[in-house]
Amino acid sequence: MANPGLDGADAAMERYARGDAAAFADVYDAIAPRLLDFLRRATRHASAAEDLMQQTLLHIHRARGSFIPGAPVMPWAFAIARRLVTDSARRRRVERRLFSETPADDDWMTYDPTAATAAADDLLHAHRLAWRIQQRLDALPELQRNAYRLLRQEGLSLKRAAEVLGTSVSAVKLRVHRASVALRAALREAEEPA
Amino acid sequence: VSAELRARVLAAAAAETSPTRADLRRRNLLIGLVAAASGLGAFAIFAALLSEGHLLRLGGEVAPHQYLERPIGLVATSVGGALVVATTAVWLALRRGRSMLGRSRRRLLCGAALIPITLLAWKVGSSIAFGASMVAWPERPGERCLALSLAVAAGPLLSFLAIRRSAPVQPALNGAVIGFAAGAFAWVAADLWCPVAYVPHVLLGHVLPLGVLAGAGALLGRALLAPRSR
Repeated sequence: MANPGLDGADAAMERYARGDAAAFADVYDAIAPRLLDFLRRATRHASAAEDLMQQTLLHIHRARGSFIPGAPVMPWAFAIARRLVTDSARRRRVERRLFSETPADDDWMTYDPTAATAAADDLLHAHRLAWRIQQRLDALPELQRNAYRLLRQEGLSLKRAAEVLGTSVSAVKLRVHRASVALRAALREAEEPA
Repeated sequence: VSAELRARVLAAAAAETSPTRADLRRRNLLIGLVAAASGLGAFAIFAALLSEGHLLRLGGEVAPHQYLERPIGLVATSVGGALVVATTAVWLALRRGRSMLGRSRRRLLCGAALIPITLLAWKVGSSIAFGASMVAWPERPGERCLALSLAVAAGPLLSFLAIRRSAPVQPALNGAVIGFAAGAFAWVAADLWCPVAYVPHVLLGHVLPLGVLAGAGALLGRALLAPRSR
């Protein structure tokens, strides 16, 4: 089924590639919400996600002349964003190794469970469940985690997710299946009474 | 998405000029001409230094009273076929099909495998078809062809990377295929210049540079084509 927002993004990108400077605002409006959502899930840090989204859009801006007429923008944006997240995480790891004495106050790759504050038992339970799932998702191999996020959380089709990840459809299916099995197991463990 | 973030991103984009499709087409044409000029220049200089300016060599005395002769029809067939492979390799390396993410991993891997195999098979096959003896030339183990190929391909390799600009998916593999494409053009020059079809010579002087260039392309592709966070 056609998505007016994304179809609009493709058309706006085509206008932008041809030289219509005002079309960049339309590209932004069409893709920024999904892109930011993806980056927030990937980094779990609001300012880091915003920073990476700006970099992704600037990369698209710089490469506008190479845009292929009729090509979809969103998988391209996801692929750039994914690469930037990986590169940013790698850079942080290197920095952390180099400056291991410095407290990691900018450590946005780890989850802070104290953020979940709820009085009601059911809300607390839901938070715990979400935390367990998130922990399990983080513990998955990167290939499985990325495939799961693109397919289940961002709603990309198998074909598009395979393009973004640079692999085959069957490999994406397998990765998502393995991720789902692991997450279901984590869910069962969390549901069992202690 | 906050209005402040939107304003910040739009302002950052407005402050940085970027080429439109028409600008990029002109720029790529210019880069392509530079690539051709650098390749041809390196070929002419190399040939002038090593073989008294002979860009086309048809044979020579491989041993006392033993001569290697390459018919002109063989040169045309061998070089023509290599040129077709080189053009196909450039098309594979630089055109991304209908997706901004480029060609699939499978296609790139197939291309990377087929380019050297096809070139080698064509060279050996056409030599056999023309009845040219693929005799050893002990003085020509292949190191000069290796140097010629690398010198001719260096400019095109950098130019092709500049034309490709970015590969968010599989930058190293894309870079490797670009290396094979540059090497395929160098193969054409080496084929024009070198009359030897002795297989060990071809492997060292003609096929090995393809591997070296693919490796260099993979390293450069990872460094230059992958988007980097700032």
